Amino acid sequence: MSHTLSAISRFVDRRQALVYPAPAVIVLFLIVVLPIAFNLYLAFTKWTVGLAQPRFIGLDNFLELITDERVWNGVKVMVYFSGLSLCLELALGLFIALYFNREFRGSEAVQAIYIFPFAATPVAVALIWRVMLNPEIGVLNYLLRSIGLPGSLWVSSEHTAVLSLVMVDVWKWTPMITLIVLAGLKSLPPDPYEAARIDGANALQIFWYITLPLIRPVLIAALMLRSLDNLKEFDMIYTITQGGPGIASETLYLYSYQVGFGFFKAGYGSALMVAVFMIVLVFNVVMNRMRLSALER
Amino acid sequence: MANVILKNVVKEFKSVTAVDRLSIEIHDREFAVLVGPSGCGKTTALRMIAGLEPVTSGEIFIGDRRVNDVEPKDRDIAMVFQNYALYPHMNVRDNLGFGLKMRKFPKAEIDQRVQEAADILGIHELLDRKPKQLSGGQRQRVAVGRAIVRKPKVFLFDEPLSNLDAKLRVAMRAEISKLHRRLGATIIYVTHDQVEAMTMASRIFIMHRGALQQSGAPLEVYKQPANRFVAGFIGSPAMNFIDATLVREQDTYVIDAEGFKVRLPEAFYERLEPYAGRPVIFGVRPEDMAARDAAAGGGNGNTLTARADVVETLGAETFVYLTCGPHSIVARMEAPEHPLEVGQSLAVDLKMPKTHIFDKETSQTIV
Repeated sequence: MSHTLSAISRFVDRRQALVYPAPAVIVLFLIVVLPIAFNLYLAFTKWTVGLAQPRFIGLDNFLELITDERVWNGVKVMVYFSGLSLCLELALGLFIALYFNREFRGSEAVQAIYIFPFAATPVAVALIWRVMLNPEIGVLNYLLRSIGLPGSLWVSSEHTAVLSLVMVDVWKWTPMITLIVLAGLKSLPPDPYEAARIDGANALQIFWYITLPLIRPVLIAALMLRSLDNLKEFDMIYTITQGGPGIASETLYLYSYQVGFGFFKAGYGSALMVAVFMIVLVFNVVMNRMRLSALER
Repeated sequence: MANVILKNVVKEFKSVTAVDRLSIEIHDREFAVLVGPSGCGKTTALRMIAGLEPVTSGEIFIGDRRVNDVEPKDRDIAMVFQNYALYPHMNVRDNLGFGLKMRKFPKAEIDQRVQEAADILGIHELLDRKPKQLSGGQRQRVAVGRAIVRKPKVFLFDEPLSNLDAKLRVAMRAEISKLHRRLGATIIYVTHDQVEAMTMASRIFIMHRGALQQSGAPLEVYKQPANRFVAGFIGSPAMNFIDATLVREQDTYVIDAEGFKVRLPEAFYERLEPYAGRPVIFGVRPEDMAARDAAAGGGNGNTLTARADVVETLGAETFVYLTCGPHSIVARMEAPEHPLEVGQSLAVDLKMPKTHIFDKETSQTIV
């Protein structure tokens, strides 16, 4: 017995680098690696959950995906929603950060209040927005009409559904971009700014020639971080529109959820997930290249 | 080119007065050095001239123009910062040309002026590099170059050499002096290093606690310091200050310090009269004391005997840290023939005409 114990303790001593992280590695393997691998496997099978066993069908799911109109609609909505919301969040986030990056009375209180939107629970916030966006009883139309403007159908119209979702996303996430950019601005060296003032640059030129180039790596990093969430935005869209009206606000991500958990076509749903993953991956590889080259310069 | 005038300039940061009623006039083409210990207000004064800090009260003139409310870019000045303040994302060429580009100079002229500056400073091969690929000395050159290309009326230097190593500092010191002669521009140079001030300045402005203590040619402030602070600040090692009493003995004046007594030269008498019998501070520079072996005789009669505590041999000269009664004194001496020993008794002859006497109450110079 004592012989076995001492053998174990000797093994632990010699292989500390393997033994100590092992529990964490095993857990991570079970909850991260295994599901991803299983998802990848399912993408090559036909499997309607509850009806049969997964059956290997090679690339059929991916061939189906290319001809599926709802996939292309999903991609279109995704590009529309993400492109617009990311651009707006980045631009607004930058300008609000520039505004906050100076001394003014109560700046700390304003900044604390300002980050409420992204600190709040996503689904709860989405539910509140759903009520506010309601054309009949929503407060937005009430406000519009009280100043004499016509109300909007908001998410009830296929023309304005995605725009309305973009509005909610921008409201919720611009503060996060602001925080990241503000941290970047505060870490910039102060003296090039003084040199530029003496060199004859006005405020706009200082922004364009000094601030923007210096802050670019931070902007790209913020964009990457935000895009990871934004490209697979689910809870907000699902809570407010469920992808509707019709499929007007159904992103590829939402559609793959619908296929997997609405129609229980786990194989095809997995293939769609792989497609979403590829889009996110390609986007971020490109962004990272840009970030690194911005750092170089 | 232009002169620069400060009239009663005050700068307050909340409750702290950084610069207190500073009035100075810097002449056209002068190399003026503002010098003083850290926190004396010299950099704040320079930043007010540059327009980077607004003045609390008082007036600043560059040329004939009152510039209190003029933007830095419109003051026709260029500034070299302590940590260079290069634009990190631009190469050297763009760093040099940025000011001209902002002023909408034609491209050809920008190129030409950048070339000229690169010629003067010998930084041709650096033009396409980024600041982070340069050494400290190279960055400093680029920072100076960025000031040169603009051909401003006034150059402002804010401790430009303090981030360089000692050897490079000496070399750059000479180069900046040369540059001044070549450009014939007005230069206002801020430093805490009295050696830089002494070697480069045509006129020194010594500041302490926000106020100007004295201004004048380097040798003038060295030989005739206005008060105890200036006397202690200019010169290295610093002047020795000894608490003493001024005593009148018959027709002569004598410094009576605990441990020694020395007779003052006749030339001093007139000014010493009101202070007879009062406590004063006796000041002697280390270089005005000649230490020798006490066993050997001779001397000029104004001699004190002291014990050597520490001996610093620098080759050409030797500094001896001495104890004489309650006083600690530093004396410079020629390299002695026999090595000095710690604890050895030395006779120190004072060059009395070069000594100073300060009012103990006001710290102002009496002689």
